[in-house]
Amino acid sequence: MQGSRSSLKSHYLAIGAFAVIYLLIALMVRNSYYQLIMTLVLVWATMGLSWNLLSGYSGLISFGHAAFFGLGGYTMTIAFVKWGLTPWLGIPLGMVVGVLAAIIIGIPTFRLRGHYFALSMLAYPLALLYVFEWLGYQEETLPMMRDAPARYMQFADQRVYTAIALVILVAAMVVSLHVERSRFGRSLLAIKQNQPAAEAAGVNVLKWKMLALMLSAAVAAAAGGLYAVVLLVVTPPTMFGVLTSAQALIFTLFGGVGVYWGPVIGAGILVPLAETLHAELGHIIPGIQGVVYGSAIIAIVLLAPDGIYWRIRDYLATRRAPIDTAERVAPSVPILAASKDERPRTSGAPLLELDGVVRTFGGLRAVDGVSLKIKEGEIHGIIGPNGAGKTTLFNVINGFLPADVGSIRFAGGELLGLKPHEVCARGIGRTFQVVRAFPRMSVLENVTIGAFVGAANDAEAKALAYAALERVGLAGARADAIAGGLTTNELRRMELARALAPRPRLILLDETLAGLGHEELEGILDVIRQVNREGGTVAIIEHTMHAMVKLADHFSVLDHGKLIASGPPGEVIKDPAVIEAYLGKKWMDRAQHPVT
Amino acid sequence: MGVVRILPVLAMASAVLIAPTPSVAQSEVKVGLIAPMSGPWARQGDLMVKGANLAIDDINKAGGIKSLGGAKLKLMVFDAGDSVEKAKNAAQRMVAQEPDLIGATGAWLSSFTLGVTEVTERVELPVLTLSYSDQITARGFKFVFQTSPTGGAQSVSTLPALVRMAEAATGKKPASVAIISDNTAAPMSFAKPMREGGIEKLGMKLPVDEIFTPPLSDCTPLIQKVRSSRPDFLLLLPTAISDDKLCLEKMHEFGLGRGRVPVISNGAHIGAPDLLKNLGKDLLEGVMTVVANWGAKGQDDIIKSFVAATGEPWITQDSISTYGDMMIFKEALEKAGVADRRKVAEAIRAMDTTTGPAHYFPGNRIKFDENGRRVGADVVIVQWQNGVPLTVYPPTSAVAEPIWPKK
Repeated sequence: MQGSRSSLKSHYLAIGAFAVIYLLIALMVRNSYYQLIMTLVLVWATMGLSWNLLSGYSGLISFGHAAFFGLGGYTMTIAFVKWGLTPWLGIPLGMVVGVLAAIIIGIPTFRLRGHYFALSMLAYPLALLYVFEWLGYQEETLPMMRDAPARYMQFADQRVYTAIALVILVAAMVVSLHVERSRFGRSLLAIKQNQPAAEAAGVNVLKWKMLALMLSAAVAAAAGGLYAVVLLVVTPPTMFGVLTSAQALIFTLFGGVGVYWGPVIGAGILVPLAETLHAELGHIIPGIQGVVYGSAIIAIVLLAPDGIYWRIRDYLATRRAPIDTAERVAPSVPILAASKDERPRTSGAPLLELDGVVRTFGGLRAVDGVSLKIKEGEIHGIIGPNGAGKTTLFNVINGFLPADVGSIRFAGGELLGLKPHEVCARGIGRTFQVVRAFPRMSVLENVTIGAFVGAANDAEAKALAYAALERVGLAGARADAIAGGLTTNELRRMELARALAPRPRLILLDETLAGLGHEELEGILDVIRQVNREGGTVAIIEHTMHAMVKLADHFSVLDHGKLIASGPPGEVIKDPAVIEAYLGKKWMDRAQHPVT
Repeated sequence: MGVVRILPVLAMASAVLIAPTPSVAQSEVKVGLIAPMSGPWARQGDLMVKGANLAIDDINKAGGIKSLGGAKLKLMVFDAGDSVEKAKNAAQRMVAQEPDLIGATGAWLSSFTLGVTEVTERVELPVLTLSYSDQITARGFKFVFQTSPTGGAQSVSTLPALVRMAEAATGKKPASVAIISDNTAAPMSFAKPMREGGIEKLGMKLPVDEIFTPPLSDCTPLIQKVRSSRPDFLLLLPTAISDDKLCLEKMHEFGLGRGRVPVISNGAHIGAPDLLKNLGKDLLEGVMTVVANWGAKGQDDIIKSFVAATGEPWITQDSISTYGDMMIFKEALEKAGVADRRKVAEAIRAMDTTTGPAHYFPGNRIKFDENGRRVGADVVIVQWQNGVPLTVYPPTSAVAEPIWPKK
């Protein structure tokens, strides 16, 4: 999946070949009924691509794409009927309306996740259905223009519609291809696979989701507009009905999710199948076509859960496997000159200043008035027993949780109120207690997602990512491995690389050493030290006191949300309050008066 | 890729269909019927097919089309399914695969008819329809003929018809009417001209005008208002049978049932045999409905053979209209003398008769105006009497006297 120029060309060739073959067949078909079906296949494939643009890539399941489809169709129709506007302009106008609707729908709905998002999306077309009925648009027909049919997109030869639909579909395929292979698509996939990790890695979740919805709405509206032109009659149930949304979803799931060929395959098989069944069986046993159609879908979903495309691809991949690995050597990416020693080690000036930060969960004060300074260039260890509020503190710093009171200043600017991706863009990277990877992406792709925030373009991001992988020792063959199959050690290193890739000034490491063997631990410690030597400031949460004493320049100790001690490691570990916090009062007495 | 694979199959399939079909012998003339045979409206499509089959049997038994040397009529059924897309696809299939059809009837639901006639108009195939929508014959189309009064015409002519009926029964003009309707499209547009001056113009008052969002959980407050204001009749216009049932039960309970306050509804579903099973004879007694066509005076033979052939208890709008449509095609074929769809359309346009097919349509005249609307198409009022819905208006079609309280 590397977006090199040559493979992009091969995608264009494939799309072009498909379009030419389809058009040639369409031109040969004389039967007007088959011409109509060939047009509808393309319209529904476009609708499927629209759904895939949002739901296939970002994982936010939409049951409501009929809203945009219907608005596209109705805008075109009403503009035609009321103002005599030709569909040539009416369809683009519908796309504009669709995009506006996407913004209005997206703002409240993107606050929701998972099932709640899916369900609320379902509500929009249903509401619109009733609105359009109430407005008196139960049955709108496009007036027949006998004088200048072509000016109003009315052709006696139905193959013209097939050609128009093909143009729209190819445009949607090219848009999908570019989304799939750019920062846009990668960001959506990252959101799909692990939204918090994506946010912490600097992905502006709301922006990408919103752009995806807007693009998706424009494509759906175009499909809806053309559908109305072909059908010549629009009714709220056909434009906004649940079936319309469902078809977009079914065709995509059937053909292949998250890939632009998917909806094309899905619609290409299911639309003619449903029609043929309807035509051939409908008059023998009315309704049986629905049963056969449903059974076919169930069978395919059982045999190829991700869709036909992936099934075929997996099959071909296993057959071609030997050649494949030979080709998949590490990409030759120009490695940027690492910005070594740009910053002096420990300038002494505070880089991050927390002042009276409080964060409560109900009655629990998880972070209770913490004030501390992390100096530029130091390795700052944050220690404390379980439940002391260390991770909560990190979450407040990087914007996952808002603080109730206090201020957090980073390099002179206030961080409170910023979203995680904004904090990341300011130059703060982080890792997680439990590694949050994008499991279905390669190691390089995982790290590239993190690099985008510090890169001007996709190529630079890839170069930064590769440089980061070199630093953590994952460059080379392992860079192409899928993250889902990595060991804990590799996952920790990959996450570290993802946080390092955009070259942050401060990196927050949350128990990066947990669960590692002795040698693995030393390896990571070396990486951290190296980062620090090159000028990076490090804040690290750790339980393993032993490793921390060797690593950190400064210790801050949290207990029950309060900062109980701060200073050089040697002093802090002798502090009675610290010993009590770790070992309890009884053990503190023993520590101070050891039984001889 | 999948598409590429399936396309050759499609192309081959179409190649077979492109191949010239042997010219059909003149001994058979094909007529199309396009209606929902599957989905929620399949029952109505089924009733249409039953009416058409009966008519074609009758025509063929009587010697077929005489001007074509006794050619037999053959019915070709196409399933319009449950969506406009399916209806339009079916229409395209019909005209592509049966190029020698001389005409068609359909497609029951107005939106389906709109989509279907977009296809048939372009190939100049005459279509007869009982769909109500005004739009069907407001598009300047030349090949669609509406046998029923349009929705707009029905809502205008219903009220005067009811007033005439009430006057005939009681000897004086009714003074007040109540409306209970849900807020869906059909009843709202049906009642619109009445609310907007129609009632006032007839010198009546509207003491109760209730609109609810279906489904109802309780009809008591609505019927209480009817009881306290005692209108001369009630327009009860829900679209869901469950709401019909709730309101009729409540009227029964309050002693307003069995025609004590005459109830008039809208649509053929109120006269369907299925409703009798659902609501029972007692609740339905006296309930009236406004339809476009129904079994009428002088059709005893047809109704008898329809009941014998189909097992249906009586003939409804969908069956009798489709029966009549076949008779119109027969008449047009006799006049045209050739099995050509354009000639048949011409003959229908030129038709002005009060005999033959005119027998099967209220008003008893077949003449279409320049838009394709049947001249003199009037509403039919049907009333449940002792478990059977009988035509009580217009008097020329009525098979029974209306039950109307003479207070």
